Amino acid sequence: MSTSILETKDLFYDYSGLQVLTGVNLQVEKGERHAIIGPNGAGKTTLFNVITGLYAPCRGKVIFKGQNVSGFKPHKLSRLGMGRSFQITSTFHNLTAFENIRMGVLSRMGIRFNMFQRVDKLKDVTRETDVVLRRINLHRESAVPANALSYGKHRALEVSLAMSTNPDLVMLDEPTAGMSRDETHSAVDLIRRLTEGKTMVIVEHDMDVVFSLADRITVLHHGKVLAVGAPNEIKNMQEVKDAYLGHGGV
Amino acid sequence: MNKFVRNLIMWVVFLAVAGAAPHVLGIVKTNVLVELATFALFAVSLNLLLSFTGVLSFGHALFYGVGAYTTALLLYHVEGFPLIPALLLSGLAAGLAGLILSPLLVRVTGTAFAMLTLAFGQLMYILCLKFREVTGGEDGVAGYDIPPLNIPGVASLDMLDSTVFYYFTVVVCVIGIMIMWFFTKTPLGQVVVGIRDNSLRVDYLGYRVRHTKAIIFALSGFFAGIAGSLFALFQGVVSTDGVLHVMVSFYPIMAILIGGIGTFFGPILGSGILIVLEDMIMRYTERAELVTGLLFIIVVLYVPGGFVWLWMGLVARFKARKLRMSKEVEA
Amino acid sequence: MSPVTAMYVAQAIHGLTYGMLLFLVASGLTLIFGMMGILNLAHASFFMLSAYFCYQVVAWTDSFWIALILAPIGTGLVGIIVERFLLRKVQKLGLGHIGDLLLTLGIALVISEAVKTIWGTESHQVLIPPSLQGLVTVAGLEYPIYRLFIIGLSLVILGALAFILFKTRLGMIIRAAVSDRDMVSALGINMPRVFMFVFGVGTLMAGVAGVAAAPMLTVFPGLADQIGLDAFVVVVVGGFGSLLGAVVVSLFLGELNSFGIQFIPRLAPVLVFLFMALVLSFKPMGFFGERDE
Ligand SMILES: Nc1ncnc2c1ncn2[C@@H]1O[C@H](COP(=O)(O)OP(=O)(O)OP(=O)(O)O)[C@@H](O)[C@H]1O
Ligand SMILES: [Mg+2]
Repeated sequence: MSTSILETKDLFYDYSGLQVLTGVNLQVEKGERHAIIGPNGAGKTTLFNVITGLYAPCRGKVIFKGQNVSGFKPHKLSRLGMGRSFQITSTFHNLTAFENIRMGVLSRMGIRFNMFQRVDKLKDVTRETDVVLRRINLHRESAVPANALSYGKHRALEVSLAMSTNPDLVMLDEPTAGMSRDETHSAVDLIRRLTEGKTMVIVEHDMDVVFSLADRITVLHHGKVLAVGAPNEIKNMQEVKDAYLGHGGV
Repeated sequence: MNKFVRNLIMWVVFLAVAGAAPHVLGIVKTNVLVELATFALFAVSLNLLLSFTGVLSFGHALFYGVGAYTTALLLYHVEGFPLIPALLLSGLAAGLAGLILSPLLVRVTGTAFAMLTLAFGQLMYILCLKFREVTGGEDGVAGYDIPPLNIPGVASLDMLDSTVFYYFTVVVCVIGIMIMWFFTKTPLGQVVVGIRDNSLRVDYLGYRVRHTKAIIFALSGFFAGIAGSLFALFQGVVSTDGVLHVMVSFYPIMAILIGGIGTFFGPILGSGILIVLEDMIMRYTERAELVTGLLFIIVVLYVPGGFVWLWMGLVARFKARKLRMSKEVEA
Repeated sequence: MSPVTAMYVAQAIHGLTYGMLLFLVASGLTLIFGMMGILNLAHASFFMLSAYFCYQVVAWTDSFWIALILAPIGTGLVGIIVERFLLRKVQKLGLGHIGDLLLTLGIALVISEAVKTIWGTESHQVLIPPSLQGLVTVAGLEYPIYRLFIIGLSLVILGALAFILFKTRLGMIIRAAVSDRDMVSALGINMPRVFMFVFGVGTLMAGVAGVAAAPMLTVFPGLADQIGLDAFVVVVVGGFGSLLGAVVVSLFLGELNSFGIQFIPRLAPVLVFLFMALVLSFKPMGFFGERDE
């Protein structure tokens, strides 16, 4: 128990009446790569939103690093070391790739309310931002506005923005959504490199990606955990196949 | 260093023009320039909200009015109150007003923000109209002395002299605008732009969106208050219709839009266009506002980015053509 | 009836008259917002414009009744032109609600200035038609006939509006569009035409209110100032796009105004805005509002 970095206990959430999460018990061990899979509408994004503080749970608890963080706002969780990327790309569209990443770097360095120095004169911020851009292979596009990047690069920026605050736990919501085969390939590579030594929770529909990245898998169905296990256990489970084929049910 | 030289030249030209203006133009035109400078400061302070934070305020007159009334009341009630403290206190009072309203203002965006600021602006207008014991109602506060600017051991500058007051206003406005420009370049300024683009993501990166917005409301209010204070010093009378009327809020929006929304210096250009145009049209007709209103509609529809963008678009097109031509020559 | 009761009743009728006029203005405003997502800052200007049309028609024909027909229609036509040639254009520019707000603000300025240019800044008198002058005695109390006429007229319009909205196919489309704009436009209905209709009807109703108000308030450039701001309060407090909210809050504001002036003359107008500020701060969508913008 003591090794788990994130835990949800009997989590409930509904959108004004529509029950979406109906008692989710999730456990993520420190240092693992944990995938959450489930058919469309299973409540994966909603679960992310509740864990990361966008919504407060209707019932149940979220425990992060041993602390009850239910109802904490995203900025507070971010400072505690939780990062998150979005299924629908949500960068700073009019800002350049450099400015996007710098936003995260500034926060990581605790420069959040400084209004007495020019930001471009902060050498270490600039240096660190450049390092990140190089690592994610966006240094040549550093002056390009986010919405002018190619789709693959924009998605890469989305994921890197989640990593830019250097979180201990990062939650990625379908990072490869809408990518071509090649783009998916390099995205998986990037994710593996960026999350080295960290804990990651990833939602993914692409089973190749799931099986190549994940140490453990949780299957979510109708707002409940259907199964938890290692990739090859999950692969062979009948309930999981049923859930995906749509005639399963709980 | 190319940029440095360019900036230097621009400053020299600006200082030369601004310095020579009153001697070339005469008193009447100098007074128009005073109005222009004050108005530009006001418009830039509003632009911090509109272009940088991405919220449209219909109640910026509130801060202008608080600044103006603070100056007028201080000078009226406290004999011999010095100039600079009056100016700064007015700014602080307006900034404080921004801070006091911020817990409510930070909760809303979009149309609701516009309506909420409109409500606060009107609230202030009505309060000042009704509490005539303090504010003089629609007659306003008048008959206060304009203190000289005392620089101990050096000089005492008479603010009733139009030329002197002009220089004073220009210095205050330039400093104010430069501080705001600097602010947009600081980390906090960047966060504000981030909030405009995607406030949810800013939250997820660990910033406190509401606190940041509160700071910008206070800052914007402060400089609007300074502008209002300059107005009070210049006019010698402060009334509800002069500083708190809803048109006082709308006017700088026009300047921003005409000059260029989304840019820092556009609103200054817009202020120039608006004030000069008004001054020119006034000679032919009483109804200058009809023309500015029409201009406003035309700008919204045909140059939605304002004249700065129009200009930049023309420059870009010109460059592209030159590039194409030189390529054709090479081929 | 004791004199005190009589005073209360008179005051209540007063408030009801204003509340009804306010509803005529605010219902158009809220319908337009609900359907098109546009908060039309020029809405009250149409109210004023119609009052001037009324004055002009009366000056030409000497008949208030002709003005009551012609002025709102003229106003509605101006509204349709504005929608077709200006609003529709700015919506395509993709400036979001800032574009709409700024454009309608510009239109409001132009209308108010144009009115001053054409008719001057002084106030003009429109006489109450002889058949509506004087007082009528009901249950031992005297009421000005004209105020009762305004209440009746508003009720007729309210009834017609309710009929269109709840009993016709067009009304069904409009109501559906208010609750879910995207879905309806996906159904292959010619939305631009419906928008034009709603905008036209909204301005027409403001126009009727303008004509009705003209004899009571006289016609002058600041005519729409109060009712315009009050109409925004109604839309905001009642909920963006909610007709029920518009009815309830209009009548409430009418009475608040009437009794407020009676008892706390200095604070009455402040209360209205304070109320709106509080509602907006804690319930940004208003009391009856549903959609999150
Ligand atoms: N903001 C919302 N308001 C109302 N219902 C919502 C909202 N967001 C999601 N839902 C509903 O909640 C259910 C779960 O949605 P959610 O986005 O969490 O699913 P998901 O597992 O992420 O699906 P996908 O694989 O398509 O991303 C769906 O039925 C969806 O329609
Ligand atoms: Mg999802």
